Amino acid sequence: MSYKDFLKLERFPTTWCPGCGIGLVMKAVAELFEELGFSREDTIVVSGIGCSGRAAGYFSLDTAHGLHGRALPLAEGIKRANRKLNVVVISGDGDLTGIGGNHLLHSSRRNIDLTVICINNETYGMTGGQMAPTTKKGIKTLTSPLGNEDEPINIQGIITAHTNHFYARCTIFHLDHMKNSIRKAIQHKGFSFVDTICDCITNYGKRQGFKTAYEMLMSYKDSYKINSTGERLADNEIGIVTNKEPEQEIKDGNQQD
Amino acid sequence: MKKLLQGNEAIVEGAIKAGIGFFAAYPITPASEIMHTMAKKNVEFVHAEDEIASISMVIGASLAGAKSMTSTSGPGMSLKQEGIGLAHMMEIPTVIVNVQRVGPSTGMPTLPSQADILQTKYGSHGDYYPIVFYPNSVEECYRYAIEAFNAAEESLSPVTLLSDGFIGHLYENIDIDNIDIKIVNRKREPFGKGNRHFTGLVSEYGIPKTKDPAYYRRWLKEMKEKIDNTAKNYNFHEYNKKENSDTLLIAYGITSRVIAPLKDKYSIFRPIRIFPILDNELIEAAKNHKNIVVIEMNDGQYKGEIEKLLKKDIHLIDIQGGSISLKEIECRLKQLGV
Repeated sequence: MSYKDFLKLERFPTTWCPGCGIGLVMKAVAELFEELGFSREDTIVVSGIGCSGRAAGYFSLDTAHGLHGRALPLAEGIKRANRKLNVVVISGDGDLTGIGGNHLLHSSRRNIDLTVICINNETYGMTGGQMAPTTKKGIKTLTSPLGNEDEPINIQGIITAHTNHFYARCTIFHLDHMKNSIRKAIQHKGFSFVDTICDCITNYGKRQGFKTAYEMLMSYKDSYKINSTGERLADNEIGIVTNKEPEQEIKDGNQQD
Repeated sequence: MKKLLQGNEAIVEGAIKAGIGFFAAYPITPASEIMHTMAKKNVEFVHAEDEIASISMVIGASLAGAKSMTSTSGPGMSLKQEGIGLAHMMEIPTVIVNVQRVGPSTGMPTLPSQADILQTKYGSHGDYYPIVFYPNSVEECYRYAIEAFNAAEESLSPVTLLSDGFIGHLYENIDIDNIDIKIVNRKREPFGKGNRHFTGLVSEYGIPKTKDPAYYRRWLKEMKEKIDNTAKNYNFHEYNKKENSDTLLIAYGITSRVIAPLKDKYSIFRPIRIFPILDNELIEAAKNHKNIVVIEMNDGQYKGEIEKLLKKDIHLIDIQGGSISLKEIECRLKQLGV
C-alpha cells in the first residue's frame, strides 16, 4: 500500500486550521506505514478528543475515536484482544497527559506494546486555547490570563521512570528526525511515547506574539538541538531515550506487555 | 452436576459460557468476587487502574473481536457512565455488571440496595436506550449473564446486568450442565478486516455529521427502534396471577425473592428485563388490579417509571438502608390497607 492509500484523501481538506502541524505528523505516520509494509489487516489508529483526536478519522484503516483522555485504555483493549495488530495512538497533550494522565502512568507501567504519538502544542487548541499541563511557566492563555503559575508536566520523567521505556521528543520542524523517532517507536516492542512538538498558530502562537505558523516553525529550529547520546534530554533538546535498542529487543524476542 | 456457587461467581460462569474473551475491571465491594473468579479463568484479564479505563478497555477489546465484560458497583458505575454512552454511540456489544450497594457516594459499601435503577437507564448524558436485566437467584445470575451477552451481540449495544449485594453474595446450588441457552455469536467483523471509523461523534459511515439535526433525529429514532426490536426477543419476566386478588405487587431482584411467600395472597409481577420497560406485559398485568404496589430498595425509582407507563397512581414500599425482611414488607402492606 502506498502512503496515500492509508489516508482518506476524499475527506480532505482536514478540519485543522491553515498552518497547523498535525497534518505533517499524520503524513509522516502514513509514510511509515507504507515503509514498514503495514496493511489494513494489521494496523489500527486510535485517538482521543481534541484537534489531534481527529487524526484517526483521516486514516483509511479500522480506527477508533474514543472518549476525551481515554485513547490509551481503548487502544490497550484492542491490542490485548488481538496482539497481532499494530496499534498506534495519535492524540494531543491535553488528552494524553491532562485528563488521561492516569492512563499514561499505567499503560506505560504495564509496558503494553502501543505506539503513542502525542501531538504536543502546549495548549487546548480545539476549545479555544486554554492552559494545558504542557504549557510553559509564565505563558498567558485563556485560563492563565496572568501567566501560568506552574511548571509544565515532565512527560520524559514519567515515561522513563519505568525500567523498560521508550521516550522520544521531536518537532515538526525536524521532519527527518521526527519520522525516525516515530519509526523507532513503532519498532519498539513495548510502550513507546513520541512527544511531538507541534504548533497551534490560531489559538496559541498568535497570543505568544508569533505572526505566522512559519515563524513558530523557525522558533523550533532555533530552540531545539538534537541530542543523539540517548541520555536524558534537556528542555531544549530532541532525541530518543530508551533502555533498549529496538533491534536488540526483536532479536531477543523479548515481548513484554 | 450441582455446584455451590455465589451469585457473583455464577455471572463469571455465564460469561465463560457465552464466550467471553476479555475482562477488565477495578475492585469494588460487593462486586470484587467477579474479578477474583475471572482472574483464574483462561480469559485476557486486566485489573485496570480505574473504572474509566475498564470501560474503555472492554470497548476496545470488543472492537478487536472479543466478547467483553466489566463489573462494578455504584461508585464505579458512575465513573463508567461516559464510556457507556460511547459504547451506545459506537454500537459496541459489551456487558457491564453492576452489583448495587447503598449510596450515594461511598455510602454503605457492604450493604445491598437497588438504587442504581435510574442511573442504569439515564446515567450517561444524551438520549440512549439500554437493555438491562436483573436476576434474582444464583442460577439466574448464570442464565442472564449469558442472555446479557446475547442481547449485546444482537443489539450491538452495551447491556447492563444488575445485581445487588444480596444476590451477588448469595450461595445456592446450581446445575450448570443442565442449563441450555443458545449463544449468539459476533456478527460484526473484528478490527483489521475493514476500513471503518468508530467515533463518539454523531456520524454516518464514519464521517462526522455534527451539524445536521435532521440526520441526528433519524439516527436516534433508528437507534431506539433497534434496541426495542432486539429487546422483544428478551421479554424476561415472571407473572403469578392470584385469582380474586385486587392487588398486584411488582418487585425485582432480591426484593422479589423476599416477597415470594406472598404469592398465595397477591398477584406478583417480576420484571427481569428492567429496561426497556416491559410495557405490554405490565399494562396487561395491571389491568385487573385495583391496587398496584411497587416494592423496591430505593426511593421509588422504578415506581416512577411504572407510573409513567400506566399513567395512574401506584403505591410504593421503599425498603432503604441495606436491610430487608418479609415482616417489614407485610407490615407496610397492612399500613397501605391492601
